[in-house]
Amino acid sequence: MLGIRDAEHEESAPGGSTLFISKLACSLVGKTQEIKITPDSIAHRAYGKREAMEQFFCNYGLNPVFRNEVTKGKLSITGVDPEGEVRIVELSDHPFYVATLFLPQVASRPEGPHPLMLAYLKAAAAFQARRNG
Amino acid sequence: MDRTIKVGIIGDFNPGLGFHNATNEALKHAARALSLAVDFKWLPTKSLEDQSEQKKLEQFDALWGSPGSPYNSMDGALQGIRFAREMGWPFIGT
Repeated sequence: MLGIRDAEHEESAPGGSTLFISKLACSLVGKTQEIKITPDSIAHRAYGKREAMEQFFCNYGLNPVFRNEVTKGKLSITGVDPEGEVRIVELSDHPFYVATLFLPQVASRPEGPHPLMLAYLKAAAAFQARRNG
Repeated sequence: MDRTIKVGIIGDFNPGLGFHNATNEALKHAARALSLAVDFKWLPTKSLEDQSEQKKLEQFDALWGSPGSPYNSMDGALQGIRFAREMGWPFIGT
């Protein structure tokens, strides 16, 4: 979507020429981080607040070299960690398109569903209603 | 009777992975809170390499990019995600 045709993931193609997704400087497996959320984003409307604690289970993330490339397209960075590393991206010209490096589903409980999951299913219900006319 | 929302989960389900089970549970939790029913289906990434399978994504009301790389087929996973992005289907990638 950004016109980077040979974009690769370091886990599946460690010798790729353009490692768009690279190994994190330090693994995030099992860590919890505070995420700062951009005002007026989908994430902000979902959480209803500017910060959230989230759990990570990953060793890979956006290669910092490509950070500027990401925002040249239609993706916006709407969540960052305390060091400013990318943790949430979303598409502005789309009904609901959010990607997170953390796993919101892991924090979900029967009595406390995750705000992003609620926003996602609400968007799905609205989409279904539009399609059914 | 609650409205049923159909969710297609792009990923290779592994019952031994806690966060795959958490994905299913999180959908149920959120659906219940919203008085919706949720009908979710895991979509193996290898199957999404096929154009006719991609067409079947239209049956869902939303798509989810599952965690758990590497995918069996990175190409299939990317095709599914591209469908959501280009056709305007609600999407979350976690």
